[in-house]
Amino acid sequence: MSERSRLGRAGALVLIALAALLPPLTLLLRAAADEWRSPALLPQRFGTRGVEEAFADASLAGEAIRNSLVVGVIVTLLALVIAWPAARVIGERRLRRPGPVWVLLGLPLLVPPFATGSGLAEWFIRIGIADTLAGLVVAHLVPVLPYVVLILASGFGPDVRDLEEAASVNGAGPLRRLGLVTLPALAPVLAVAALLGFLVSWSQYGLSLAVGGGVPMLPLLLVRRSPPCSAWSSSPRP
Amino acid sequence: MGASPGGAVVLRGVDLEIPTGGRLALVGPSGAGKTTLLRVIAGLEPSATGRVEAGGRPLDGLPPHRRPIAMVFQEPRLLPNLDAAENVAFALRAAGVGRRERRARADALLAEVGLDGLGRRGVRGMSGGEQQRIALARALCPDPGLLLLDEPMASVDPDRREGLRRLILRLQAERRVTTLIVTHDRDEAAEMGEAIALMIEGRVVQCDTPRNLFLRPQTPAAARFFGTRNILGGEVVDGVLATEAGPVPAPGPDGPARLAIRAEGIVLDPEGPLEMTVREAVFTGSVLRVRLARGDMRLEARLPPDPSPSPGDAVRVAVAPGAVWRFPDDDAVPAPGPGVLHP
Amino acid sequence: MRTLLALAPALLVVLVLWGAGLVGAVRSSLGVSRLTGWSAADLDAYRALADDPVFWESLWFTLRITVIATALSLVVAVALAAVLRRSGVVARLLASVPVPMPHLVAAVLGVLWLGPGGIADRLLGGLPVDLVRDPAGIGIVLVYVYKEAPFLALLVLAAWGPAVAAREEAAAVLGARPLQRLRWVVWPAIRAPLLTGAAVVAAFVIGAFEVPLAIGPTSPQTLSELALSATREASLDGRATASAVLVIASVLAVSVAALAAAGLRRRHE
Repeated sequence: MSERSRLGRAGALVLIALAALLPPLTLLLRAAADEWRSPALLPQRFGTRGVEEAFADASLAGEAIRNSLVVGVIVTLLALVIAWPAARVIGERRLRRPGPVWVLLGLPLLVPPFATGSGLAEWFIRIGIADTLAGLVVAHLVPVLPYVVLILASGFGPDVRDLEEAASVNGAGPLRRLGLVTLPALAPVLAVAALLGFLVSWSQYGLSLAVGGGVPMLPLLLVRRSPPCSAWSSSPRP
Repeated sequence: MGASPGGAVVLRGVDLEIPTGGRLALVGPSGAGKTTLLRVIAGLEPSATGRVEAGGRPLDGLPPHRRPIAMVFQEPRLLPNLDAAENVAFALRAAGVGRRERRARADALLAEVGLDGLGRRGVRGMSGGEQQRIALARALCPDPGLLLLDEPMASVDPDRREGLRRLILRLQAERRVTTLIVTHDRDEAAEMGEAIALMIEGRVVQCDTPRNLFLRPQTPAAARFFGTRNILGGEVVDGVLATEAGPVPAPGPDGPARLAIRAEGIVLDPEGPLEMTVREAVFTGSVLRVRLARGDMRLEARLPPDPSPSPGDAVRVAVAPGAVWRFPDDDAVPAPGPGVLHP
Repeated sequence: MRTLLALAPALLVVLVLWGAGLVGAVRSSLGVSRLTGWSAADLDAYRALADDPVFWESLWFTLRITVIATALSLVVAVALAAVLRRSGVVARLLASVPVPMPHLVAAVLGVLWLGPGGIADRLLGGLPVDLVRDPAGIGIVLVYVYKEAPFLALLVLAAWGPAVAAREEAAAVLGARPLQRLRWVVWPAIRAPLLTGAAVVAAFVIGAFEVPLAIGPTSPQTLSELALSATREASLDGRATASAVLVIASVLAVSVAALAAAGLRRRHE
């Protein structure tokens, strides 16, 4: 590698690090700043006003965080269980024609969640789960489940199968096989699938707005309480 | 030259020269730095010190695509999205040659490597042997000034290797392309190289004709690599080295010496001067490999299959004088010379 | 049979929930409600949209943002992957920081950095153009590139592994220059995941409104923003209009993906 291209690469890496770390850092600074007027690059006065304001209506903020957590965790667990058999079949390539399955799993990821959500809302009102946590869990399954299936499928394959066969030849029953062989072998993929599933639910905005506009959820609260466009103005007191 | 990819010094003081149109085999145990040397020559690996020249033109600092060098790797490394002919003609495509001429030259080369008429086929479904033939045709296509072959037989079925070896030899002879072939197999090195460079731990320890490397390796390490394990040390007196088992004839002047004995030069002989015990006798297909011992002295012999001695037998053996040679003294080891084809 | 049984739970949940959502959206876009029943179905909402210049402006704006944001993300992603594939775990982790970040957070960051009086403004002592609330939607595009380029780069990296590097070396020794290697060796290997990822990104940009809501102009609005404002009118007409806009956005998103899939298949044969 020539000296110039090495320099270029080092520069690119510095740029990546700055782009990755600086923006989240400004968010922290902004939260911790009581006064940060232009043109200063750093806040003039630090304080807890921002945090205090965020939790001024402590019960609402707390509830929103709790709701988002509960929905995210339940949806992720549900999705993992429902996805498991399908992911195994797809991952082991036991399908002769996987095309339709991919399309079916892909479509919910393509169609805008706000569209799916506003359609679902109609039915949810009828069966009485609109604006409830249960309704939110059911609705969040639409974007979360396909992701979880696709990621989990990448973990299954001939390797896991060989391990399981070895275990069963050595006398391990189905339960012990699952606990001692399959789950440990899949642990990394399982973790990624769970993390991604949770994040998809955690940051879901349009879908939650459509089917559960009345339930305080973190992303909804974020927009309602302090619209991002006002990030620089101190938030208006009610 | 020297090279130190990833911080570890892999090559030191390597000095090789191949005459134009010649064929040098680079052989050595795995991890000796053979592949690294090829990659340095091709420009795929930086070399800390040292020079690479082709026809008097220095290549150092040139990126791989600016060097008049082609390479066949251990694996075929074909492009799966192109058909066989486009793979063969890849260098022409990179040079901007038009599609029709590319096709014509690729088809001719495919015929030469025995894949006549397969130009339009995809390469994905082909066997390892076929793919490696395409890789060979692809490397020859731009008429490179130097052809590097990095264990080209490695990804080919054992029963197809002979065919590929002969193909390489025939094409090399026809085109007189200067060739450097890497292998870890000493027999293959003898077959493929007009000269052999033996590389151990990043150094070329000997560069010589195949005959000399097999029959007269110049260091114990070289002797061991080329199959001679019988290495003795001691004081030569009156042309004889006294051992626990008896006297061994030693060439050269009297004094301290290290000797090697070819296994083929040891014979069972009831009149022989050495008394030893058979430790092991294994029939290996064509010869009987017999391990002999007496005290700390060990010898390995290759004997005709019959008669077969049994472990525990006490035997007398003789050493043919022509099978014994003497390593140069440690401080008198001549620097390994450049690869000379006709010494 | 057993494979079908194994697929059933996941596929049924997706099919039923997503299908119900879609049917519900189409139904309400046709003006059907519980009170009126299917007999009242009509295309009034769509007709009204077709006559509304605001809708056409919004459609054009959405498409423009989608194409530009996706194309820019693709280019940045390939460059990013080219740097990252020779880098260690730390660099890869750093580069993937924006991937799990919610779009809303990325949008807030966009305002903090790019807005009037924002960090960029202070650093440079004044920005030459408005990036936040600008009618051209530059801020939206920038936020999307920041969010999606690392995501696409990760997809590219997964396909740009040692096997491709080995072929790149072979091509280099045969005289292929760096750009030729990118075109003939790397591109065929990363094309499928890159286009698939691009389709997902484009579909998301068409359908999401967090980012345009936060950093985009008040007018023109993207299709989803338009639907949101229509919902807030809270009349039956508003509902139908909102649903119609969303159905159109859905068709657009699926068409983009179908286009990508067709492109992939064509080159495969």
